[in-house]
Amino acid sequence: MSEAATALYAYGVVSATTQPEGTGIGSRPVDLVAEGDVAALVSSVPADEFGEAALRERLNDRAWLERTAREHEDTLERALAGTPVVPFRLCTVYESRDRLREFLSAHGPGLADLLRRLDGRVELGVKAYFATPSRDAKEPQSGREYLLRRQREREEADEAARFKVECARASHERLAAAAEDARANPPQPPELSGRSDEMLLNGAYLVRSDDGRLADAVAALESLYGPRGVTYEVTGPWPAYNFVPPEVAGA
Amino acid sequence: MTQGDRLPDVRYRSGGPAPAQLADVLERVLDKGIVIAGDIQINLLDIELLTVRIRLLIASADKAKEMGIDWWQGDPFLKRGSDGALEGRLRRLEEAAGLPTEEERSEK
Repeated sequence: MSEAATALYAYGVVSATTQPEGTGIGSRPVDLVAEGDVAALVSSVPADEFGEAALRERLNDRAWLERTAREHEDTLERALAGTPVVPFRLCTVYESRDRLREFLSAHGPGLADLLRRLDGRVELGVKAYFATPSRDAKEPQSGREYLLRRQREREEADEAARFKVECARASHERLAAAAEDARANPPQPPELSGRSDEMLLNGAYLVRSDDGRLADAVAALESLYGPRGVTYEVTGPWPAYNFVPPEVAGA
Repeated sequence: MTQGDRLPDVRYRSGGPAPAQLADVLERVLDKGIVIAGDIQINLLDIELLTVRIRLLIASADKAKEMGIDWWQGDPFLKRGSDGALEGRLRRLEEAAGLPTEEERSEK
């Protein structure tokens, strides 16, 4: 892209009748590139700053990454408030308007179908955490007591391991039954989640935004597994990141 | 469109007091560590110094598997590369870029 001074950063796809508004990454205006019934929400960006070499560097810059990720997300959320959106991942960059049009043209029918499917839907995240029960702090008084306790602890650990897998699976199934589509993603480690409790489930659920069944399912799971140390956290509404098939994800 | 009128448990972020956790945002916008989109193709695993958090994000799948919590492996979305299309594409990209492929990396 030596000749091109600017490239196009694409946030996602909306219907061609959408009115773009506000600003996106780096406070750049958000614009529309339409092709047929669908259009990409874009910002013009300097090509040298969003080339592969530059991005490799910038993705290592934590402050830049956080700011850009949030601006990307905010732009999509703003659009989502008024229209269905097919969200793209961070740093989906096209060398030119023509290249972006090629993509929109090649995937127009698939994108239009997906927009219809996502109309009035949002993605909700549900995470389940398990608090490991605290151990008996009293020192064992004899060798026999020590051995008995070791054995009991091993049995409890086995039981907890079985429970965690079963609880995660049952929770996901119940939540999926209350949603139009569902994905189970790898649980985040404590360093990421910021919680010492172990994450058992990291699910994403596609629901109608006026449908309360998922919230009901979370409440039911809380009564079922809460007494055994499981808590649930709901996040969102998100753009439907987890429900965009890879073939229309901006490639 | 009024979003989630009947979802009282949802913590609203738009205009709400609690911004989404960065990890949750990154998890979604980074697509499990691989940016393959548009005209720019970057495998985040190849980025040397990538922030600790993202490394954890990418590593979390393997770590969970170690712990025996890998039942979601049956989830079609997570196996979406199992037809080999994405892997094949990645391998070709890696070879073209002269980077070590996934197999070579795991042999180290």
